Amino acid sequence: MKLVNMIETLRTKTVKKIAYGILVLLVMVDFIIPRHEVHFFGDKIPGFWSLFGFSACVVIIIVSKWLGKNGLMKDEDYYD
Amino acid sequence: MINDFIHPAVFYLLGGLLIPLLRGKVKQGYMLLLVVAAFLAVVIMPQGTYGVYEFLNWKLTFGNVDKLSKVFAYIFTIMGVIGVIYSLHVQNDGEHLAAFYYVGGSLGVTFAGDFLTLFLFWEIMAFSSVFLVWYRKIPASVASGFRYLLWHVAGGLILLAGIILYYSVSGDLTIRHLPFHGWWPGDIEGMALFLILLGFIFNAGVPPFGAWLPDAYPAATVTGAVFMSAYTTKTAVYALIRVCAGSEILIILGVVMAIYGVVYAVLENDARRLLAYHIISQVGYMVAGVGLGTQMAINGVTAHAFCHILYKSLLFMGISSVLYVTGTAKLTELGGLYKTMPRTMIYTIIGGLSISAFPLFSGFVSKSMTVTAFGEEHLMWAFIALMLASAGTFLHTGLKVPYFIWFGKDRGIKAQEPPRNMEIAMIIGSIFCIGLGIFYQPLYALLPYPVHFAPYTAYHTWETLQILLFTQLGFFLLLKKLWCENTISLDTDWFPRKGAKGLMWFSNKPLANTETNFIGEVYEFIIQKPIMKVAQLMQTIDTVIVDGTVHNLGRFTIAWSRMILLFQSGQIHHYAMFMTAGVVALIVMIVRLF
Repeated sequence: MKLVNMIETLRTKTVKKIAYGILVLLVMVDFIIPRHEVHFFGDKIPGFWSLFGFSACVVIIIVSKWLGKNGLMKDEDYYD
Repeated sequence: MINDFIHPAVFYLLGGLLIPLLRGKVKQGYMLLLVVAAFLAVVIMPQGTYGVYEFLNWKLTFGNVDKLSKVFAYIFTIMGVIGVIYSLHVQNDGEHLAAFYYVGGSLGVTFAGDFLTLFLFWEIMAFSSVFLVWYRKIPASVASGFRYLLWHVAGGLILLAGIILYYSVSGDLTIRHLPFHGWWPGDIEGMALFLILLGFIFNAGVPPFGAWLPDAYPAATVTGAVFMSAYTTKTAVYALIRVCAGSEILIILGVVMAIYGVVYAVLENDARRLLAYHIISQVGYMVAGVGLGTQMAINGVTAHAFCHILYKSLLFMGISSVLYVTGTAKLTELGGLYKTMPRTMIYTIIGGLSISAFPLFSGFVSKSMTVTAFGEEHLMWAFIALMLASAGTFLHTGLKVPYFIWFGKDRGIKAQEPPRNMEIAMIIGSIFCIGLGIFYQPLYALLPYPVHFAPYTAYHTWETLQILLFTQLGFFLLLKKLWCENTISLDTDWFPRKGAKGLMWFSNKPLANTETNFIGEVYEFIIQKPIMKVAQLMQTIDTVIVDGTVHNLGRFTIAWSRMILLFQSGQIHHYAMFMTAGVVALIVMIVRLF
């Protein structure tokens, strides 16, 4: 099936390398992009939102997992 | 012209009644006809006030049409079409009727011009949607449905209390802008507005009153969850916009909601419950925007509700299809489905990219307006918190759900694409999600205020791309931590659930024991025995005094009657003798006097 083959080609190492390349490009372009809507200090720092996105992801996972391990997560039959 | 206004709920509430009488293709055609007609009724509807009826002392308004009610009616009727197409294969007429009454109820709320009408349809929604949970017909959904109903009855009663209190203060039931300011009601009117707001946020799923949502939605039927994801919370958002815009307390509640949903989504294993937590998160943006209450925020919230209904239902359709085909929606039991359900995967990812506000997808043109409204007002803490929640949204709905269902560990599940009608509904949803992301002008034109916002500025697009793609990097780096566990997460429904168990234990054990052993004895000594004593005393008084008096009166009367009997012989000459003697005695007395 064609669709499945397309999806499988997207799962190769080359695509992974291209993805990393895009990330580098994102940060580099952020140095030159015009800034009209400056809402706070972070808007002036190139690459701020890249760092923000990455740290947000890490913080959300770690804090949530910590909360889960410390009381929120229960066995499925907890209420039975 | 008054003839142009046909209430679209009529098609759902009255037209729907004929569904059980029809069979097969005719039934399917009839259902499609109804939902398309309802949409057209909204299209041709001119602004104005229609359907005003006098009822007792109240004026009930069923057709209050302005820009705000119209844009919500548009999306509710569009969603009706998509949802009905998705559920065309369902054989259970009850399920169709429940969905029709649910959608009809939300349209009734949308056009309600007074609080009584609003409340009426508000309750129709709660009592019809619970059947979408019950018709799943598994024990867990029966219990979940009852809890759902309890939450909504509680919220509905709070709303009704607020309405009655407001009526007692103002003597008016017209729905108008009634924001609640501050943290706690200061006077009776404040209390009324507070209760109305509280009733609305029960349905908006605001924690701690929103636990019904992740409880009931994953327990609903395959197609029921698709409907439910669209209507209850967004009807509440509509009511909040109309009545409570600018209530500052909503900003904090909304931001907390946005983060809260994301945190729970990390822990969640059931994909439909994960999506349910992301409804809470997304509605958080809307609730916060309503609290901000600026024109830009209200436009953003309205647009976001519009897009949200489309992408969230698309996501629910995708995952519900997986549930329909494989029988489970648990991430620990799924994986590797890209080989068998690749098209469903693509629709779901389109929904995921839309909810994550990826440029060129619908969420981008609506969420960014809401978030930018916070930037414009310099509420930076809220702005940053909502940005954080955006990253979390992409992390779960855009990455975690598709990854663990379609890739992850291949569990060799036998599957195929869902029935054709389900797929068509997903295609329509996908077209809307991409279409609105590119051609957003028609949506902006429907918004209640003039729009001064351009979503695709270079910086804004770049900012979003950076956040999302670096979130993706974080996802793949921390993938090991994200493998799901077969658990459930505690939410505020712990209180009613454990509370109910506690109440039952308390009633069965201490209360019942105390009743028989202690209160029973105490009753005998403190109440029963003294009462007997008093009763005896009363009896004595009754026999001796009361009865004695009556008896003696009787005896006296008899004796007296006997005496009188001596004079009353009944013989005429005796009477003549008494009269003569009387006359003689009188004459003697008169003579003696003079």
